[in-house]
Amino acid sequence: MPRILTVDDSRAIRMIVSKQLQPLGFDITEAEDGNDGLSKLQGAQFDLVVLDVTMPNLDGPGMLAKMRESGNKTPVLMLTSESKTAIVTTLMRLGIADFVLKPFQGEELKAKVLKALKLPANYAPANAAASPSAAAPAATAAAAPASGGGERALVIDDMENVHKKVRSMIPAAVTLDTSLTAPEAMTLCRANKYGLILVDAELPNTSLSSLTKQLRLLQTKTVLVAMVLRTANNVTGEMRDQGFDDVLFKPFTNEAVEALVDKCFLDNQELVTVQENFLRVAGFHGREDKLERYFLRLMAKLKEVLSKVAEACFDSAVLDATALPLTQPMRAAQFMADVSKAASDAGVALRVVGSAEMAAVVGRFEEAKAVRLFQSVEEARAAA
Amino acid sequence: MKFAEQLEQIVKTRIENDSLTLPSLPAVAFKALELTRAPEFNMNDVASLIEKDPVLAAQMLRLCNSAAMATREPCKSISQAVSRLGTKNIRSVLVEISARRIFESRDQKVGATVKALWEHSRAVAQLAQRVAVVAGAADPDTAYLAGLLHDVGKPVVATMLLEAENQIAQRNPKLWIDFPTWLDVVQRCHRPIGLDLARKWQLPEEIQKAIEECADYDPANRLSTGNAVRFANAVAKQQGIYAGNVSADDNDALVMVGRSLLGIDDETLTRLSADLKEKSKEAA
Repeated sequence: MPRILTVDDSRAIRMIVSKQLQPLGFDITEAEDGNDGLSKLQGAQFDLVVLDVTMPNLDGPGMLAKMRESGNKTPVLMLTSESKTAIVTTLMRLGIADFVLKPFQGEELKAKVLKALKLPANYAPANAAASPSAAAPAATAAAAPASGGGERALVIDDMENVHKKVRSMIPAAVTLDTSLTAPEAMTLCRANKYGLILVDAELPNTSLSSLTKQLRLLQTKTVLVAMVLRTANNVTGEMRDQGFDDVLFKPFTNEAVEALVDKCFLDNQELVTVQENFLRVAGFHGREDKLERYFLRLMAKLKEVLSKVAEACFDSAVLDATALPLTQPMRAAQFMADVSKAASDAGVALRVVGSAEMAAVVGRFEEAKAVRLFQSVEEARAAA
Repeated sequence: MKFAEQLEQIVKTRIENDSLTLPSLPAVAFKALELTRAPEFNMNDVASLIEKDPVLAAQMLRLCNSAAMATREPCKSISQAVSRLGTKNIRSVLVEISARRIFESRDQKVGATVKALWEHSRAVAQLAQRVAVVAGAADPDTAYLAGLLHDVGKPVVATMLLEAENQIAQRNPKLWIDFPTWLDVVQRCHRPIGLDLARKWQLPEEIQKAIEECADYDPANRLSTGNAVRFANAVAKQQGIYAGNVSADDNDALVMVGRSLLGIDDETLTRLSADLKEKSKEAA
């Protein structure tokens, strides 16, 4: 378990640091100034020091200088409101891993601590199965890749009726955000990841080519579609030149919107996210007639993933299938049976996590009775 | 007094005495910018005005059709260019074309350096604009112009220094200044000149501030245009897109602090700066 020493004369800051890092399973020790910090370093081995600059008795640069002079090479992450180049240059020359400016976001601190400790960005504590509170980080860490742009769409149009129209045509499983102006849209794009962005080609006071460039900076995996009038000539090529992937003609037809949703959320969907031998299945957001395609693509992907799990010498795996659609129970049960068989063929003992509803479905079908089903990730991990 | 110190003193004295002749915006560009500041201006009027300056018109068409802005159908007229650019972009383009003229010199010594300074300015402009988009820092177009003009005083000082050097050298041919020292003098003197130029061109206050305060960050206004420009400046220098001496340690410190100040992680920074060198050379 990584041990971290946080050195700051502010008790509030030390508490915030502890609160941010303890859920990751780190052991946090506090020191209130440089002298206290040096004394703690003499008494124990630490993996990282989180260090303030301005402190009484012995400040951050002073403590760091003494550490390095004595041969202590523990990585140091500066956490300070001091931003003057001259001071930071001195610290860099003494050797620091990184820098966080106060006031700070918890996510930045965590990301830089993990990087300094050479741990992966989606690190979860090893004892995630042991307690309910520790389970959340594991689920969050595994969920993070899955939430990357898959089930959210944005409409940018100065007419609210267009927002209403799109909302009525998009499947309920897709979250739809709307904005009336480009600046409003940019704010949304900084906060969320979108799989599809629809832009009015006649948006007032807006350079479309500038807007598409800016949207692409913020949304690297989105599909950008221009909403244009049906009467416009040679518009598809022109819109592609402006940076769009496709066009959607106004007024919309159900078929055109559905085809777009399929393209963005089914064809581009990341169906399985993997963290070592923990697999998570993505949900289904399309029309019922596309469900079979979803199951077929998912099975192909799972077979590929299970081979890799076996290749990495894991003899068991946990599959979180809570998002699996159960609208066609027999099909879902058949799918579960096929996945279990594929795992068995690869030499991997599969434990599946699913809802009570899934348990009921699996229980009704003979083919699926061999599936080892658990109510939670912790139970599934503990059954190893 | 050493020759270099003599030259620096001449420049500083001229700045203090306000006896510098600063480059003006081309007359047509100035009028066109004034026109675009009116609430309900007519694009056709702007196009007609620009057409009166053939050099400006040609440069506008060239910029419009450059890789950065081109579409499948190239612009063939100023009316087309103006219509395609839109209001905000017209202003930026007019200022960019005007600034470009300052970064030109026929002198062999100065020419290569000001070209490198222009490429650096373009790199800082591109990156500051992208940072403004990603971090939500100020207006991206203002950040672009501020980045483009943050070192605009340097070519002015470079030209002034050359004139002073030539005059003195005519009287005393034994005096000379080595190039690194010459660049250091430019580095030390340029900022007040750049600020005066921004005021003369009536550029927005945010741009003037970005030119004036280019050293340390402003932590009280994290997402200011100035901070975006400072960060972009440091990253461009890290990538070697610069003419002059750089303290690598100071520069690395600026990048490290800037990443936290603006909330830019490593992956985003790599993505934003990936094609910087290539983009800085376009239309140079």
